[in-house]
Amino acid sequence: MRSPLKITGAAIASAALVGSLAACAANEQANSGASGGKSLEITSWWTSGSEADALGVLTTAVKAADAGLSVDNAAVSGGGGANARQALAARLQAGSPPDTWQLHPAGQLKAYVDGGQVADISQLWSDNGWASKLPKDVADAQQVNGKYYTVPIGVHRGNVLWTNPAVLSKSGVTIDPKGGVDSLIAGLKKVQATGTTAVCLGDKDVFASAELLESLIMARTGADNWKKLFTNSYSFGAPEVKQALNDYTTILGLANKDHSALTWDEAAKNMADGKCAVNLMGDWAFGELGNAGKQPGKDFSWVTFPGQDEVFDYVGDGFSIPAANLKHPDEAKAWLKTLMDPKVQTDFAAKKGSIPARTDADISSLSEYQQQAATAFKSVPVVSSLAHGQVTTAEFAQTYSDAVTALNGGGSIDAFVSTMVQAQSSQLK
Amino acid sequence: MTAPAIDRAWLRRRPPVAVPHGVKTSRRARLIFAPSLLVSFLFVYVFIGITGYISLSNWKVGTSPDLSLRQPFGATYGEIVGEQRFQADYRNVIIFTVVFLVLAIVGGLVAALFIHHVAIGRSLFRTVFLLPYALSFIVTGVVWRWIFAPSTGINVFLKAIGIQNPPGWTTDPGIVGAINSIDIGSPLKIQLGIPVALLPIIFAAAWQLVGFAMAMYLAGLASIPEEHLEAASVDGANAWQRLRHIVLPQLWPSTITCFVLLLHVALKIFDLVVAMSGSGPGFVTDVPGIYIYNYLTSRYDKASAMALILLGLTLLVVVPYLMRGYRRERKA
Repeated sequence: MRSPLKITGAAIASAALVGSLAACAANEQANSGASGGKSLEITSWWTSGSEADALGVLTTAVKAADAGLSVDNAAVSGGGGANARQALAARLQAGSPPDTWQLHPAGQLKAYVDGGQVADISQLWSDNGWASKLPKDVADAQQVNGKYYTVPIGVHRGNVLWTNPAVLSKSGVTIDPKGGVDSLIAGLKKVQATGTTAVCLGDKDVFASAELLESLIMARTGADNWKKLFTNSYSFGAPEVKQALNDYTTILGLANKDHSALTWDEAAKNMADGKCAVNLMGDWAFGELGNAGKQPGKDFSWVTFPGQDEVFDYVGDGFSIPAANLKHPDEAKAWLKTLMDPKVQTDFAAKKGSIPARTDADISSLSEYQQQAATAFKSVPVVSSLAHGQVTTAEFAQTYSDAVTALNGGGSIDAFVSTMVQAQSSQLK
Repeated sequence: MTAPAIDRAWLRRRPPVAVPHGVKTSRRARLIFAPSLLVSFLFVYVFIGITGYISLSNWKVGTSPDLSLRQPFGATYGEIVGEQRFQADYRNVIIFTVVFLVLAIVGGLVAALFIHHVAIGRSLFRTVFLLPYALSFIVTGVVWRWIFAPSTGINVFLKAIGIQNPPGWTTDPGIVGAINSIDIGSPLKIQLGIPVALLPIIFAAAWQLVGFAMAMYLAGLASIPEEHLEAASVDGANAWQRLRHIVLPQLWPSTITCFVLLLHVALKIFDLVVAMSGSGPGFVTDVPGIYIYNYLTSRYDKASAMALILLGLTLLVVVPYLMRGYRRERKA
């Protein structure tokens, strides 16, 4: 039972275990460090059908530009990119980052810049003259302290009001995008009076209501004051914001009662099925409704979210490259250049349902909605989304999202305002 | 009457007491256990320590480590304790744990007694009750979300049988039996009571783990000697008296084991809630697991502090249980 042989055996076994763990680690190092052939490792959170197809457009293009390049797609699904960002954070800490990764510009980019993890690619920008090909607000969002750290591949719009033409005409309501929020609410109340639910909302994931409130705040404050909210030079306690909060609680009262049990896509489909008149959602809903077999113009239509002046709520995707431990610098730079090719941006947009970031990209082959959005993108002020954590720090975005959850549970407007004002003074320096 | 013989045989095999055998064995035991102790020390206790340190630091964004200590010391704990979300999370997890344990344990006991006494189809019933336990919370959570969806699920049936205003299930922001109202400026930012929206989730969790409790009780029931029950019957005890005075006391160890193992499930609950309702309006279905997940990328220090508080809550119950086992072992 207690023979020395057994003990030696146990010791050998445990040594072997430790040894094999070390070997595993060494293997990993060897694999990720191998740089024999030309290769490129890309981390993103594009894994669903249309997203994966869109990513495929990019990898095909970069391979066509560089024969013999092998692309390693290291996409991580789930959580609106949260899982991919966790995985990326671990790899950055370990000093073994992918050659390039997907991120939102502005606030999320700033976190990586502050951590010293993304490379300054200002040279690449000036060599290729990209800044002149983008709306100024969009070019600005790719910078931190005057330097470029990312390239924009596609643009989504957050503040689109999807409408059901049949329900609206039955109630005799038209929604005028220039009519402002008050006329929108009056119209929605008219729909409600006919016995049909006015608003479809699906905020099981709270971003849907956070996006609705965000669109209302932008509509009331305008683009400039929206931007100032995040430099703490305009307060969440301003009368315009409070007005938007009042509008929000009114609209919540006109929405389906079971909104916290539905997901955003279920709510969008309910709207197209005629269960209500309108649904606010980003334009990824356009692709989702199309996949569900709904006809644009017939089953559903759209207007820009009504407000004082038209605002484009920008939810963008870009790619950056690591500042340190970049294994394939030439391939990574070629990748960024491929992303900024106008033809590639158009092909990508066709699959993804977004619009090209470059204003000189040919949009004639895209859908009617995309063409309209692309036109607005060139001509109206572009601001970054808070609900999607783009405009400022992740912490502030989380505070906002928690405050919206509290508001949805019957919390007071005053409590919301005081939470946000306090967050402005403590988090935005 | 063979017991004394075995005892004697065992005594004969025992080595003389004079040999310092205990010391030797314990040294060898230590050697054998060393690798696993080392691994668990490293991967459990060192990491708990690191998490504890992070919770006291200024590390906010996951990708930008900042290990300087936050001033004043422990300010992160003070910050989160004052949050509405934190308070709601612990109200929810405590209510969840208590109601879930009662439902799962009582349900498991009833199921086990039923299967133990049923004559036909015993293995069929056992499988039926145990099957949900084999499924993942995410899978069952999605199905339960559909069942409790107010406009398409079980409510359609309730309306069909004439109930005009069926419940809102997980969408109901109400608190039943609230013992306070929310005062502006008060440090308590939530209503203490039972969140209505939590009840469907507790029910779903209990449904899934009743099979586990049942399996534990079936093993316990099998170990109760028939003679005890026969003797009680002969003495004139009826079925209830036999259950109350013979069966239940002998099932006590199974109950304790069930309690501790299911407690872990309840305190760490995450996936089922995410699948069924998420945080819910006003955090009525939020739990510490979701809080930690949400803050992992934006406030690493806050997520770490929350994780440690959750660990503390677990230890509060598990440590007395372990102490009890340890004391009993030493007595024996």
